Amino acid sequence: MKQSTFNNKYLPYVLLVPTFFILVVFLFYPAVETFRLSLFKIHPWTGAEKFAGLYNFIKIFTNGDYLRSFVLSAYFAIVVIIAGLFFSLLIAILLNQKIKGMRFYRTFLIWPYALSPAIAGALFNFLFNPANGVLCYFTGFRTWLTDEKTAIIVVIIAAVWKNLGYNIIFYLTALRNVPVSALESASIDGAGPVKRFIYITFAYLSPTTFFLFVMNTIYAYFASFGLIDVLTQGGPAGSTKVLIYYLYKDFFVHSKIGYAAAESLVLFSLVVGVTVLQFRTAGKKVHYQ
Amino acid sequence: MKKLKMIVIAILITMILPIAVFAAGSADVEVDESATVSIEFWHAMSGARVDLIQGIVDKFMAENPNIKVDVQYTGSYNDTLNKVKSAYKAGNAPDVFHSYEIGTLGLINSGIISPLDQIAKKFNREIPWDDFFTPVQSYYKYQGDHYSMPFNSSTPLIFYNKTFFEKAGLDPDNPPKTYEDIRAAAVKLQAAGYKTPVTWNLHSWYFEQMICLQDAPFVNDKNGRSGKLPTEVVFNGEAGQNVLNWWVGMEKDGLFLDVGPGWSNHRAAFGSGEVAIVMSSSSDVNRLTEALADKGWEMGTGYIPRPAGAKGGVAIGGGSLWMTNNHTPEEELAALKLITYISEDESQIAWHKGTGYFPVRKTAMDQLKSEGWFDENPNYLTAFNQLLDSPETLNTSGGLLGIFPEARELIQSAIQEMYAGKPVKQALDEAAAKANASIAEWNEVIQ
Repeated sequence: MKQSTFNNKYLPYVLLVPTFFILVVFLFYPAVETFRLSLFKIHPWTGAEKFAGLYNFIKIFTNGDYLRSFVLSAYFAIVVIIAGLFFSLLIAILLNQKIKGMRFYRTFLIWPYALSPAIAGALFNFLFNPANGVLCYFTGFRTWLTDEKTAIIVVIIAAVWKNLGYNIIFYLTALRNVPVSALESASIDGAGPVKRFIYITFAYLSPTTFFLFVMNTIYAYFASFGLIDVLTQGGPAGSTKVLIYYLYKDFFVHSKIGYAAAESLVLFSLVVGVTVLQFRTAGKKVHYQ
Repeated sequence: MKKLKMIVIAILITMILPIAVFAAGSADVEVDESATVSIEFWHAMSGARVDLIQGIVDKFMAENPNIKVDVQYTGSYNDTLNKVKSAYKAGNAPDVFHSYEIGTLGLINSGIISPLDQIAKKFNREIPWDDFFTPVQSYYKYQGDHYSMPFNSSTPLIFYNKTFFEKAGLDPDNPPKTYEDIRAAAVKLQAAGYKTPVTWNLHSWYFEQMICLQDAPFVNDKNGRSGKLPTEVVFNGEAGQNVLNWWVGMEKDGLFLDVGPGWSNHRAAFGSGEVAIVMSSSSDVNRLTEALADKGWEMGTGYIPRPAGAKGGVAIGGGSLWMTNNHTPEEELAALKLITYISEDESQIAWHKGTGYFPVRKTAMDQLKSEGWFDENPNYLTAFNQLLDSPETLNTSGGLLGIFPEARELIQSAIQEMYAGKPVKQALDEAAAKANASIAEWNEVIQ
């Protein structure tokens, strides 16, 4: 079959215009603008600008509350990623069996991913809110969301639960692709189920795990806003105020535009940095078929 | 080519210049009142209130057929202000928008609004400020000028379950008035089996109001009303500590249920009979009366509590209507007519009956009284009387502060720290220090 070719030199560019238009308007321009704004002091109403150099960055990094939020976010991300990947792999393995009604279970386990974070937050609020939360009633413990120690735990559980479906889909697909022949030959060589899992299955899963690692990092840093806004509003006493929520407050409530720009750059570099680091380290150990 | 350009420019100048001069000369008085104009009005009242406002505006348009008003609900106060900001920068700000009371000093200094009294004067329109309740109009008055039109006005109230009061051996017709009263009632209720009988949501508004009740300021420079931008908060003074020693003390002793922020939890706890005393907005009268009536309980209301002997009063809460600048005189006049109409008796009575916010004018109040409205709804009268019993001082006019939204966050966070064990004074001082740092930055940027 003859492959069709385009001889027109300009056609590819014309075809790329719509995509580029969207990228430039909604991605590149705002990104550059954020970069610029982070160097200014900005009037909250008129937007009048005064150059301030690195003032915003110095200010946020000498602010105890911001540093606390920074550490909290890291803790939140690590727990959400590890717990999220662990439980989704566990569930995916259980789902990868031949039992009756499997499709039914699968649908229900993937379901939480289809909810918006705000709805997921509302569901957890229904369970844990101190006035009439269902679990508060049954456990007799009602300060789930109003105690600093437990509020973060509830938010973490909600965040992990919310993203389980996404992770499960990828793990399930990857598990289906583990070649049976490899597992069989390992059995013949005398490897037990645990060894088979660690040396064969998990090795085949490594590209997926790595991909999910990166995606979950982004999720933990950026997508937790809705949950926190509905459940705790960053409280009690700032104990669930992760960076993205801090940024929201500074921009949308306190109108500190310069700070907010600097904070979003910090968040941006943080996620890029973590991802690059993951590629440099874990990424090298990933085995692609 | 160059010559042609020059000619075109010359023609344009000769055409435009007279218009510009004419416009500048006539704007002060003469506007064609019958000219068709369309204006935009953004507000922050959700739910059934959207239709209520639309109804008021529809009536306005029926009376002024040449004015078309596009009304939009633009989310919470905070969302609305953010939308106004971006719209202003893009050059299509709404003619009229709705803001909460704590946005007042920020808006006065924002550079994007036209002061109400100034616009009224420009068109020789008298706004009968004497007809407005003093606490209502004095909140929005700054340096002798009114900057915005009072709209939805409320104060906090104590709501209590009369049925539970009776069961606990308390007088159901005598609401607790002081800190000691509330505490004593709570102890009695607890003894009668109501585990944590008191609650209200985590909101700095109550704290602010209870500072007003002690006739103490919230910020320096005459509570932010001296004409200079205030430089320091003073909510961490003795008055603020009194409030929180009592409030947090009740929480520590298990008399007060911490339900967190937001407006639904304390209502739910009150409606389910979990608690017997709540503090909430006077605009909740309808909602809470119905919630208790569903269970066959009777509800009472009272003034918010004060330390025994305190001489202050409450300040008005709620919101007002603002006009943005950079509009044609025709649009300005239409906007002025609209917000004046909304403040008039007919609109205010409809608004009061539909929401529980109280009317801003005395004549509207008199009309409601003569209708017998308060005989049927005595709890509405509590909020009124509480407001009218308040002396007029700079402190009860309400504090003005540019970073008020942030100060609220800081106070709420501090209260949560107190619940967790931090001493009241220390937590308040820390919140005040953070607020002061933000004020210094805000004052620098805003000028």
